[in-house]
Amino acid sequence: MEPNIANPHLEEDLKKRSRYLLGFVIVLLGILALRLLYMQIIRGQYYEELSKNNRIRILPVLAPRGRILDRNGVVLADNRPALNVVVLPEDVTDVARTARRLAPLVDKDAKAIEQAVIKGKTRPYDPVAVARDVDFEQVAKVEMEMFRLPGVSIEAVPEREYLFGDLACHVIGYIGEVSKARLEEMRGMDYSPGDLVGKNGIEAYCEAALRGTKGRRVVEVDATGRLSSVLEEVAPVPGRDVRLTLDADLHAVARHSLGDRAGAVVAMVPDTGEVLVMESTPGYEPSIFAGTLSPTQWREIMNDPLHPLENRALRGAYPPGSVYKVVVSLAAFKAGILNPDARVYCPGFYSMGRVSFGCWRREGHGYVDFVRALTESCDVYFYNLGRALGVDAIAEVATQLGLGRKTGVLYNEASGVIPTRAWKRKRFGQPWHPGESVIHAIGQGFTAVTPIQVAKAMSAVLNGGYVLKPRIVADEPRIVERDLAIPRMQVEIIKRGLWGVVSDPRGTAHSIWDKDVPMGGKTGTAQVARGYTSKLPDEADIPYRYRDHAWFFGFSPIERPEIVVVAMVEHGGHGGAVAAPIVRDVIKGYYLIKGSRHDQVRADSPTP
Amino acid sequence: MIRYERIAQHLDWGVVTTTCALVVIGLMSVYSSTSASGPSIFLRQLTWVCMGCVFLVAAFAVDYRNLMYSAWPFYALVLLGLVLVFVIGREISGARRWIELGPMRMQPSEIVKIFVIVWLAYWSEKNRHIVAYRFRDLLFPVSVVALPVILILLQPDLGTAGIVSFIACAMFIMMGIRRSTLLALSGMVLAGLPAAWFALKDYQKTRILTFLDPSRDPQGSGYHAIQSKIAVGSGGLLGKGFLHGTQTQLNFLPEHHTDFIFSVVAEEWGFAGSILLITLYLILITKIIDIGLKAKDRFGALICFGIASYFTFHVFINISMAVGIFPVVGVPLPFVSYGGTFMLINLVCIGLVLNVAWRRFIF
Repeated sequence: MEPNIANPHLEEDLKKRSRYLLGFVIVLLGILALRLLYMQIIRGQYYEELSKNNRIRILPVLAPRGRILDRNGVVLADNRPALNVVVLPEDVTDVARTARRLAPLVDKDAKAIEQAVIKGKTRPYDPVAVARDVDFEQVAKVEMEMFRLPGVSIEAVPEREYLFGDLACHVIGYIGEVSKARLEEMRGMDYSPGDLVGKNGIEAYCEAALRGTKGRRVVEVDATGRLSSVLEEVAPVPGRDVRLTLDADLHAVARHSLGDRAGAVVAMVPDTGEVLVMESTPGYEPSIFAGTLSPTQWREIMNDPLHPLENRALRGAYPPGSVYKVVVSLAAFKAGILNPDARVYCPGFYSMGRVSFGCWRREGHGYVDFVRALTESCDVYFYNLGRALGVDAIAEVATQLGLGRKTGVLYNEASGVIPTRAWKRKRFGQPWHPGESVIHAIGQGFTAVTPIQVAKAMSAVLNGGYVLKPRIVADEPRIVERDLAIPRMQVEIIKRGLWGVVSDPRGTAHSIWDKDVPMGGKTGTAQVARGYTSKLPDEADIPYRYRDHAWFFGFSPIERPEIVVVAMVEHGGHGGAVAAPIVRDVIKGYYLIKGSRHDQVRADSPTP
Repeated sequence: MIRYERIAQHLDWGVVTTTCALVVIGLMSVYSSTSASGPSIFLRQLTWVCMGCVFLVAAFAVDYRNLMYSAWPFYALVLLGLVLVFVIGREISGARRWIELGPMRMQPSEIVKIFVIVWLAYWSEKNRHIVAYRFRDLLFPVSVVALPVILILLQPDLGTAGIVSFIACAMFIMMGIRRSTLLALSGMVLAGLPAAWFALKDYQKTRILTFLDPSRDPQGSGYHAIQSKIAVGSGGLLGKGFLHGTQTQLNFLPEHHTDFIFSVVAEEWGFAGSILLITLYLILITKIIDIGLKAKDRFGALICFGIASYFTFHVFINISMAVGIFPVVGVPLPFVSYGGTFMLINLVCIGLVLNVAWRRFIF
């Protein structure tokens, strides 16, 4: 046995190749050794200098965010130059002292500044903005004290500006400092702590387009961190503008009509799914989120009982009330149980065993056919349909129309609920009661839908069954989610009933009748506390939070609808009295705006 | 008694001492780079080293030839692990790489490296009669290796997938490829590179572009590259001393206990320390190749060559990254970087090498 001699069985070629491997290893490690020799010995002085003084700073240059425009190019969100007071944590010699000196100059809390700078220590070469958008007086004060404040400087940045204040604020959304969780999520991308990102609405939905790409400035600084020369500069790429389908003028009409009530208005083009209006009240001033929000301001917003941050058009899920009768009608047509000419007698109540369900008109409607039932919103007629159809048949059509499902128009949407037997069993562990189908047929009970869903569903009914994804960004394509192919006869007869709601003297919304505005619609009143309200004779006596929600959906013109408008007023009371006038105002505004634009185009065009 | 004497006599003490030296340097560097935030990371790494020693002994004790019988079950296990990553894996910064095993996290893609080495060695042993592989001989083994590589690419973990491919290429070349086939294949790879570029994720492209122009995105990946270069360069001849590296202690370098650990060594111990580290790697790799040459069969020889190339690629890519001659790809430094699975695999490799060395005699 010869211990240290290579195994003779191993082929000669393997030995030869192993020498290549060894040579390869030596070459690679040799390259590393040479590189280290160059960096640590030959250039060691240079790197040591760099590490000692850290004289080179690479400062990000923020890209101006893209603007947000309405459908006619009216600017809704823009940027203006603003000045920030920033601190480079590395250059601060004594954080506590700097914070104490800086705080009174910029009207901030010294503790807050100290904490922000300490937090920034993990990336000592990233400037931390301690006061955003300071005025010139503050800048002057800081500049004068600068020699005593190493590491502090003034930085010019683009600041977000919302030109119409709180108009459409929920759609536009707002920007704020990127959260830690999101930063982790976006690792490897161009985000760093303190960056402003879209938090809600279009600002969040179109973040990728609006953001742009940061530029940078490589600068040399002196011992106190003061800039001495710019070595290199790369301009940022500005974010892209985003054009919306919204009409700012029509939005203003909706906002004005809603006034100080809490509610929402959605206007949509039924053939395309374009959202013209998505207003929610009360609103808020979106620009406050871009600056550093004071705790008092924050508390004020959070504790407001009307929740101004909520976009009720997307997140306000309420029982639709009688607006739902349109859906029930469609389900009944589909099931083949509805003869529009057959008449049902309404004595003012509907009995089922020992239980009795009242019609909203206590004295009854007498004999009603389908068109009259819609026009006068006869509950008994629809109780009959609901009983015959059962909840699941109605729910199927409702779900197909997009009710009880997120529409995907923006982020942070509520889905609402369209109950079914299975749903109730899963949720409450109880079977479905036949009486609940009866209630369901007039849009009460568990059903909860959002204004945007109602606008989507009603658009689909009016356009003959194309369920369109509502869209608010102009370059999103028209997406047909489903084609229900509703027969023309059914659409026409439903429209006849809805036309009567406004035009017929007995219609539930006849009070808004205006012979110049050809419109149809449907009222809805969602009961909040059934037993409680009926005991009180006068509506004004009912406490606000127990009042009914008022709904109205309207469209115009009758023949080929160009616009569908849904208004919902939270705890507003009766739909016909409260929500219908808002819809009329918006439709009137629509024609007014359209007319004036038309005139303008004519005036602008050159005469031949 | 005879048995223990034999172990002591025929154990390759050169490999053992260089490994110990590397592990000690690693522990010191992990301690130095994380001491600011308490000893917890250091202690965890120490635990992994102890566990790794147990695994090393296990990998040494059983005759390595038994691995030939388990080449296919090993394959099944590796694929299962990689698929599990997608099912129950933890997602960390956009990639699923880990699976949780009780209190520990395992990274199955690390195990793939050792699998590729063992499986290709097995295949070569089984096909001893093939002197020079032709296209059609390569088709099957290449597909076997490609499947786990594709799964790793999907995680996505470009660094590991690249290393596994490099190891596989090195082993194929060691197994012997016909010259014309080798030329044709190299040509194809070169032609395929542009296509691969389009398959990369944006952040991966950014990293490569950043490497070509480090000031491109200095706050992001370029920041690492610049700060690491300053750390290495400022080490000078003798370094700033243990626990005195300003770049690392002042937190200029994020992740310096994992992928950028070399910067810590180079800054604190200077050129002398870095060259010592590289020399240790050179001794270790040379010894492993030597053991391969003396092995009694192709299987053992190729295991050693594979392990040698595995360490070589890791050392070269990791250090190149720290000195700014390679893009930032997240490839750790053997025995030195913080990381549990990686340390285990490294020590298992050493166990296998000692195993081959010890059983080199035919009788």
